[in-house]
Amino acid sequence: MNAFFYLVWTSGRNRIRFVVARARSPRYAAALIVGGLYLYSFLFRPAAARGASSLLLGQPTEMIVTLLAVLTLMGSWIFGSDATALAFTQAEVSMLFPAPLSRRSLIGYKLFRAQITVLINALVWVFILRRGGTLLPSPLRAIGLWVLFSTLNMHRLGAALVRSSWREHGRAGARRQRVSIAVFVVVGVLVAAGIIEARAALLAAEGPGEFFGALGRALAAPPASWGLLPFHIVVAPTFARSVGTWSRAILPAVVVMLGHVWWVLRTDAAFEDAAIEASAERARRVQATRSRRSVAAMGAPRATGTLTLAAVGHPALAIIWKNMLCLRRTAQLRVFIGPTVMAIALGAATSSGGADGGEIFASCALALAGMLLLFGGRLIRNDLRHDMQHLPLIKTLPLPPGEIVLAEVASAALPMAAMQTMLVLIAYVAVFASPSNPLGGDVRLALLIAAPFAITALNGALLTIQNGTAVLFPGWVRLGPVVSTGVEALGQNVLAMIANLFSLALGLVIPLMVAWGIVAALHEPRGVAWALVIILASIILAAETYAAMRFLGGALARAEPGQTE
Amino acid sequence: MSAESGEGSDSPPVSNLPSHVSTIAVRQLTKLYGTFPAVQSMSFDVAPGEVLGLVGPNGAGKTTTLRCIAGIISPSSGAVSIAGHDIQRDAIPAKRALAFIPDEPHLFEYLSVEEHLRFIARLYGVADVETRIPGLLRELELTEKRSALPGELSRGMRQKLAIACGLLHDPTALILDEPLTGLDPGGMRRMRETITARAADGAAVILSSHLLNLVEALCTKLLVVRRGECVAYGTIDEIIAAHPDLAGRSLEDVFLALTGEQKTNA
Repeated sequence: MNAFFYLVWTSGRNRIRFVVARARSPRYAAALIVGGLYLYSFLFRPAAARGASSLLLGQPTEMIVTLLAVLTLMGSWIFGSDATALAFTQAEVSMLFPAPLSRRSLIGYKLFRAQITVLINALVWVFILRRGGTLLPSPLRAIGLWVLFSTLNMHRLGAALVRSSWREHGRAGARRQRVSIAVFVVVGVLVAAGIIEARAALLAAEGPGEFFGALGRALAAPPASWGLLPFHIVVAPTFARSVGTWSRAILPAVVVMLGHVWWVLRTDAAFEDAAIEASAERARRVQATRSRRSVAAMGAPRATGTLTLAAVGHPALAIIWKNMLCLRRTAQLRVFIGPTVMAIALGAATSSGGADGGEIFASCALALAGMLLLFGGRLIRNDLRHDMQHLPLIKTLPLPPGEIVLAEVASAALPMAAMQTMLVLIAYVAVFASPSNPLGGDVRLALLIAAPFAITALNGALLTIQNGTAVLFPGWVRLGPVVSTGVEALGQNVLAMIANLFSLALGLVIPLMVAWGIVAALHEPRGVAWALVIILASIILAAETYAAMRFLGGALARAEPGQTE
Repeated sequence: MSAESGEGSDSPPVSNLPSHVSTIAVRQLTKLYGTFPAVQSMSFDVAPGEVLGLVGPNGAGKTTTLRCIAGIISPSSGAVSIAGHDIQRDAIPAKRALAFIPDEPHLFEYLSVEEHLRFIARLYGVADVETRIPGLLRELELTEKRSALPGELSRGMRQKLAIACGLLHDPTALILDEPLTGLDPGGMRRMRETITARAADGAAVILSSHLLNLVEALCTKLLVVRRGECVAYGTIDEIIAAHPDLAGRSLEDVFLALTGEQKTNA
């Protein structure tokens, strides 16, 4: 048996055994049952809910997915190699790099191993889309998704290799990758030119439907369509509505995928050539250490400016201080690019056609605040999801475990809440400056007063849920700063996000019931009364969150390093 | 010998132990993983100024014992007291008096050397941090690396930083699990001097190591464990007295004989 196949197969088998063995513990068994029911209800739901799937497989969605794929891949090119694209585990670095294997073999192994994520996510999406009101059988859709996700994954890996070659060899590296870089630049220019050409129609659009319709027309017409052609080819089988359409679409898509295989392996060869040209000695050294350095360089923090910490004071603040430094030194700005681009599009789309600049700006700011509320917890992980890796150290700290949980959650929730509050403030000022003044002054003021409370409470609750999974199920949760990203991991992330929001919805039941009761009793309350109701509901949610933190503190006290090692 | 293992289970509760006598008191400590007994009915004391050497073959239960004492894992039964405080029921003051230095340094990859020390100082309420940090950095030869992140440090330097973090708050109970791993000969010598100095200042020290010459040089008592059980406890002379057939043999031979890795008459 091939050694790489053996490694992937036995690792996967042992991982499943480990997960099953964990289920002997009542806590994990309960989670397994709840998770199973959740997956069943989400993936195997009755046919009545086919409307959403049908919408997901519509033509506008195909265009949006194509555009998202372009943006994601552009992010890989512009903002550097993704940690999950090039990273190897410590064990792989220790055992595979000193082994008599070519670098091309290692890249091949990396591609092979990524297939696990690709296949799982392809299956998830097959189930999500299986009732899309089309005649395409699920197995064919699965093949289309597999081709799409595999191509995207390989493209990210290829971009990472090109960039690392560039970084390693400077101009010489760039020259060697000139074809790849030129292709990337041409695609970017063509798409940008298409959008610029259509800017008048985009700005005149009234509502999201018109906006996305105009965007779709702009991208479907030259010159943008020329640039998007390879992406369209790869996306087409997934969105095929019949066997005939799929049959015509799959071959070109497979050709593009195989082209990526060739490109990635050739990129690797070009790198080796460059190293050998430099000197045989350097080539040997690079052969041994190149990838190891990549792994370190990708996620390596830098000791940029520190923050002041007083020697005396509440010790829990030291944890927040530590985690703020973590955020400052490890946060990757590029993770905010996606939500920002989506927020700008959404903000522009939801503004009315005659909206002035202030209104559009306010819509974009509010959309971004909403995006950060929904996705923020997945973008920054400077809390227990990071620190559970240091469980032996955390457990020797002279602090009550509940306070440790509180400080850890606050480390992520407070900066996220501060960002969102700032965006709400920006929106307020922008709307205030707008001559159309769409909201009454007292309502705006009330919302502004209540927003910081609501935002802080919601972020605290959402991040407590995410930290809770790390504390309660450290054996099942990916710990550390890196989370699976990329379109090919979207299925897993969507499932996790929906589960988090469902948990938040449960937490909101009591606050919303209380708020509803007060509003009903007040009979059409005015602005400030609304603000007070929101603040009260936020306080109730915060109290629930605090109780959950105390519970998690107990779980942290009982957690053992063996669960995370 | 004050240690008992598997011989009688009527040890006094930890709260009744005279705290002025033993800084670290372990009573009937047992840790089960499922049905597997990693540590069985271990009892011993470490008084101020004592250095207890914890030795045993791989998998004997040394690290599990140390982790139970440090409060990292909960014992299945038994009790541990640090400076008179039960590590489970009265954890905060117990942990304040304690430093645990593991064999594999756990460091935050985004904090520099100095920031690690400032972080620890705040947690343990070390007020005179401005005067302490330079001295500790000098003692452990980390002054030039004070702004470096752990990723920029060698294995030995990382170990020294973990040791510095442990020593910063002047713990009265010091638990070291293979502390010399990764240190160069000079670093080993200075580490030996540091341990001796801390014990001379009144700290109770538990030192787990496979380096028997280090254990012989530093430790005032030995605790030999095998398969989670204490097989010998006391000064080397006391242990030899209890096993006359080992008289005149090296510590390595004594160790191998006690742990069953070599026949006593070999």
